[in-house]
Amino acid sequence: MSILNSITNSRIWRSFFRHGWPDNPLDRSLIMTTNVFFHLHPVKVNLKSIRAAYSLGLGILTVAAFISLALTGTMLMFNYVPSVERAFPDIVALQNSVPFGQLFRNLHRWGAHLMVLTCVLHMARVFYTGAYKPPREFNWVVGVVLLILTLGASFTGYLLPWDQLAYWAITVGTSIASYEPMMGALIKKILLGGPEVGQASLTRFYGLHIMVIPAILLLLISLHMWRVRKDGGLAANDLDAAPLEDGQK
Amino acid sequence: MAEQSPQQEAFPKGSVKTYNLVEVVRGRTNMIEKGPDNTIFSFPVVAILELLITLGMSAVLVLFSLVKNAPLEDLANPLVTTDPAKAPWYFMGLQEMLEHAHPLVSGIILPGVMVLFVMAIPYLDNSRIGSGQWFTSPRGKKITLWTAIYTLIIMPAYIVLDNLFPPRELLRGIVPDFVAQSLIPVVILGIIVLLPLVLLMRSKPNAREVMLVLFTVLFVSAVVFTLSGFLFRGPGFKLYWPWDMPNGYNPLNNL
Repeated sequence: MSILNSITNSRIWRSFFRHGWPDNPLDRSLIMTTNVFFHLHPVKVNLKSIRAAYSLGLGILTVAAFISLALTGTMLMFNYVPSVERAFPDIVALQNSVPFGQLFRNLHRWGAHLMVLTCVLHMARVFYTGAYKPPREFNWVVGVVLLILTLGASFTGYLLPWDQLAYWAITVGTSIASYEPMMGALIKKILLGGPEVGQASLTRFYGLHIMVIPAILLLLISLHMWRVRKDGGLAANDLDAAPLEDGQK
Repeated sequence: MAEQSPQQEAFPKGSVKTYNLVEVVRGRTNMIEKGPDNTIFSFPVVAILELLITLGMSAVLVLFSLVKNAPLEDLANPLVTTDPAKAPWYFMGLQEMLEHAHPLVSGIILPGVMVLFVMAIPYLDNSRIGSGQWFTSPRGKKITLWTAIYTLIIMPAYIVLDNLFPPRELLRGIVPDFVAQSLIPVVILGIIVLLPLVLLMRSKPNAREVMLVLFTVLFVSAVVFTLSGFLFRGPGFKLYWPWDMPNGYNPLNNL
């Protein structure tokens, strides 16, 4: 015990962790406010807001899926070259000769579908619990943008295996954009980097998939969670507020 | 300095009273009646809950990944079109819509209107009543349930009927293309979406109840269209039962 104490009392430890052991109210507050990841959460939460039947944990599930996708995606990146000659053989090699390659690819694929699913269900949960109401309007809009970005992240990843499924799904998907009369052709050209799906499209989709969209997602997810705290925690808290007076919105 | 009369002295010196009533304001503070009784420290309970959710999700994902492999077809070949050629599943609602109206309407305008509507919901319904409560009230629950049942019946019926008797084909050459391909589908879909709202209007709904109807119609329709496009469209993008597809096509392989 004295060794443990000397470690946690050392200057090195104290420089990393600016709070004592979190077994008392002060240190349980400090751990939330001095840690950049914890500080997205409120220091105290209402018991109603952590009931499983209220939130169904869908927001956290979406974040967990995102983190898992970042980790498994990194493993895939290490074994993949985004060129029309290399992409498909790389995926075949990943599945057949890279240790746990098939498992990581499966985790990434099914995790991506799961994230889209939990994201949509989370939106439905927030709507049906009325959690978009003031002062949470802005966070609802951020959430809609996050859903669109999640679809974009999944869609750009869909092309990367460069098989028939990927090629024709992206051909069909991007042709929908081209129906827009004024900008459609331009949007399709910007996305694909040419008249049809080819090397330029693969390069662009890869860049968007591994860098641009995840970076914006990370930023907006942080904003989204921080905003929950700033707007008073989950909307379930509102039920414990004073009853509304006449004429008050 | 002359002594001020007690009437003019707003903040008398030496008084034990250190506060004063300045003005009465209608409103509530964040913490009114939110006593410490109902709150707990986030650490460690919330941290543990989040960890458990993450671990549970990881376990399910690993188990599923051990059972089912991600699909991989042949090398991409621009010369050989797959039949059917489908977008990823979450865009299959859009692709299904394309079968029922002019692409500008079904691929751009209607989805655009839907996204804008969803973003605008908190500004259209800005009352705080019912915030944090599933369906707001028993009446809201009933409205949602009946709207969902209505949409679950009418949207598949619309897809099947529109597929059997497509006005775009039947009216080709009889009326202008704009009427057959854009106006008629929009009017039919508009009636389908607004009908439950018209029925609700008789009982003087509040903004939240209107949103419940509109969002439920849109959400359930999106689910129906996605499932229809993903599961029920086979070769030639024709409607089949998912278990009875020609050429051994299995829609689940498109995941």
